[in-house]
Amino acid sequence: MMERSTIQRSLPALAISILIAGTLFLAFVEIGFGENKVDSEDAVANRYIANGTTETGSSNLVTSVVVNYRGFDTLGEVTVLFLAATGVGAMINLLPEDGKKRSKGPKPSLIMTQGGMLAIPVIALFGTYVFLHGHLSPGGGFQGGVIIATAFLLYLIAKPDAKTSHRTLSLSESLAGLSFIGIGLIGLAVSGIFLDNVIEGFGVLGELVSGGLLPLIYIAIGIKVGSEMSGLVEKMRGDAS
Amino acid sequence: MIAINEIIGMVLMAIGLLFQVLGAFGLIRLPDVYNRLQAATKSITLGAISIAIGVGVAEPTLLPKALIVAFFLLLTNPIISHGIARAAYRSGVPLWKGSVIDQYEKALERSGKGGDPQ
Repeated sequence: MMERSTIQRSLPALAISILIAGTLFLAFVEIGFGENKVDSEDAVANRYIANGTTETGSSNLVTSVVVNYRGFDTLGEVTVLFLAATGVGAMINLLPEDGKKRSKGPKPSLIMTQGGMLAIPVIALFGTYVFLHGHLSPGGGFQGGVIIATAFLLYLIAKPDAKTSHRTLSLSESLAGLSFIGIGLIGLAVSGIFLDNVIEGFGVLGELVSGGLLPLIYIAIGIKVGSEMSGLVEKMRGDAS
Repeated sequence: MIAINEIIGMVLMAIGLLFQVLGAFGLIRLPDVYNRLQAATKSITLGAISIAIGVGVAEPTLLPKALIVAFFLLLTNPIISHGIARAAYRSGVPLWKGSVIDQYEKALERSGKGGDPQ
């Protein structure tokens, strides 16, 4: 009896598995993994490599793709990050009261506090550097923002009782998000394309002031990601009790 | 003919690599958190700094950057390892059964329970 019912249940599952596997196979068999797609004439990657620097004014091709050619996707990414951070915050808020309370641990040692205070400004400066030079060197808004959030985390480790303003964090996050959309709307107003880089020829290629609107977008993303991640870290610390 | 500074740089990088590999072995082979931190701190810090200095010596234009990297490794790695070890001890991670000495426990007792010896 036992075996029979197991087989009866297994057969439909097997059929569904084969159906799904077959559908996926049919869907992906056309892609041709391992083929050389870059050498073909109409490959989009070639267009980016050939025209990326002249069309966007950014000497970092990854940035020209992320912020210019695929700028709208990046807006989606920022939204996904925002939703993820909001979801984690909501989950922490749903915890029962005693789960939220911070256990009073021992004070951090002198080494931790002093060493942390020495390192924090440098880390924050480095994060700012990374998102300011996003159009020139590896890195960008997301990476710089996360580096700034690590400085904030180190601050909370070095001084667990420090007062932090959640309002300021959400305010700077919202303003940065708004300015991202505002920069997009400038493009919509001037040339009719959302997030269009309307002053792309501005500045000299390879210098700090170049790339048109790209650095501004990366600054907005950097501030947004930095304050978002810092807010997340602050939520995880729990309420002072 | 290879320049003398390149040879010195290569030797420094080789020493650093050796210490990195030993540190990685230590992370896997040593028995508890505190022993592993020994491997992760001392060996890895020396290895990384040696590689950074080696790069700077072999390629003198990179020397300032390499020195900055070395300085921050020297600043951050020991502090964070200290923090991890202290947090592990305070939250009750046991020492390996073959450990022979626990000076931190005595220091805690001297300064009163829960106090902070500094």
